[in-house]
Amino acid sequence: MTTAAVQPRRPAKPRPSLVVPIGIVAFLAITWASLSEQFGIAFDLGKILEDITAGGEILISDRDSAAQYGLLVPNWAFLPQTVEPMIETFQMAVLAATIGCAVALPVAFVVSRVTTPNSPTFVLGRSVLSVVRAIPDILYALMFVASVSIGPLAGIAALVLFNIGVVAKLLSETVDGVDQGPIEAARAGGSNRPQTVRWAVLPQVLPNYVAYALYTFELNIRAATVIGIVGAGGIGYLLRGQYQFFNWSNVSVIIIVLFVCVFFIEMISIWLRRRLV
Amino acid sequence: MIRFEDASVTYPGGVHALNKLSLEIPDGQMVVIVGLSGAGKSTLIRAINGLVPLTEGDVTIDGVSVGSANPRKLREIRSRIGMIFQTFNLVKRTTVLNNVLMGRLHSTGTLRSLVGWYRPADVEIAMKALERVDIVEKAHVRASNLSGGQQQRVGIARALAQEPKILLADEPVASLDPPTSHVVMRDLQRINRELGITTIVNLHFLDLAKVYGERIIGLRSGELVYDGTAAAADENVFRDIYGRSLTADDVMGEASAAAATL
Repeated sequence: MTTAAVQPRRPAKPRPSLVVPIGIVAFLAITWASLSEQFGIAFDLGKILEDITAGGEILISDRDSAAQYGLLVPNWAFLPQTVEPMIETFQMAVLAATIGCAVALPVAFVVSRVTTPNSPTFVLGRSVLSVVRAIPDILYALMFVASVSIGPLAGIAALVLFNIGVVAKLLSETVDGVDQGPIEAARAGGSNRPQTVRWAVLPQVLPNYVAYALYTFELNIRAATVIGIVGAGGIGYLLRGQYQFFNWSNVSVIIIVLFVCVFFIEMISIWLRRRLV
Repeated sequence: MIRFEDASVTYPGGVHALNKLSLEIPDGQMVVIVGLSGAGKSTLIRAINGLVPLTEGDVTIDGVSVGSANPRKLREIRSRIGMIFQTFNLVKRTTVLNNVLMGRLHSTGTLRSLVGWYRPADVEIAMKALERVDIVEKAHVRASNLSGGQQQRVGIARALAQEPKILLADEPVASLDPPTSHVVMRDLQRINRELGITTIVNLHFLDLAKVYGERIIGLRSGELVYDGTAAAADENVFRDIYGRSLTADDVMGEASAAAATL
């Protein structure tokens, strides 16, 4: 009894927060509304299954020509024609990643609170970056195809803006999380701001930066294909030419080539990135 | 000479970290500041190089006001004040030499420093600084591969590379084990004596303070409660600084006795 009296009172268990149940209810409501016919897209699984057979002729069809057998029967004779556009897509990805990452490096330091305590600069930088990120890459591609005409140049310009958005965002978040001790040490030693960023911050984020650069290159191969479809050159442009004329067995070859390239580039990139960070 | 004139620091939220402190530290002195956590030791040290701005009063160094210095002037003042930290504050992902060269940034042009093209004379100063703390063989090793004691010596070398007139050390041994603490404290003492650099050290442990401090300053709630020689600082003085009787937690332990005889 006496020992119990000396112990301080045990705290009561705090009331459970309402945030979690409210969040779950909101999530369910939004999902239901999105599915429903009334408010949403009238999602119907049965219909998909019903309709998918209608597209069956794409898989193994044959239109009049003997060379056209559908997606499941690749036309290997078309393979040599994919080499040059694939190389072009690869070059677009490399160039865009290089330029985009070079520009993104200083931008990332401007849009991090750690390296830019000055509020107006920070807010301006953040706002510009938000606008750059809000515009989808395909819209950039359409804009550049319209202004510099069809071809890889438009694609590179579109990818550069896309890459600046991705790398600046990822890198600025990494900068937000650096150890601030070295920054204090640099300031205490009389360094100015560029010197502090260069020697106290950059070495801390450099491996991440290289990893993000590899990652954007990886993204670019896929993105370059999609924007190629709207006229920005490379394998995507070739793809568009083939599916527009329903040459499914040629489309099939392009997809296989893309798959193999993307797969190997990703493997190499993931392996390199694991080594870095 | 460093002079505090009615210096006060009030943090947002109303905490008085320093309260109308007046103090003079002549050139070449080795001063140890003691006090409980939150007594204002770190604030006092950071007021000297302007890392913490004063809310009232002034700090002057050789007659130059720190409080009213513009950014350029403040960098110039800081270039002559080296600083050492509890957590070392090294950039772990780069080499020891690159860390020490950060001490030369104040006299390196911005463009030159951005590309890392340090003058050979600056590299020489950095190497000499590493030699002085006996760790030059690690110059090209990544800082993350060093032990705590080695990292703190690199921290000291970085401060020395500035060729400072004043050395500030904020709890330099709080993250180190007792024997390593003594190595680092002896380095600081040697630097103070051989180079005549005014050295101001925050310490937790009273026995270390007595062994290495030429002068002891006691702080309590941002106010000066003791200012005198280490010899005169007896148990009653420390009780006054700490506001309670001393316990075993306040001293580092038997290793100090050995150090005292050295």
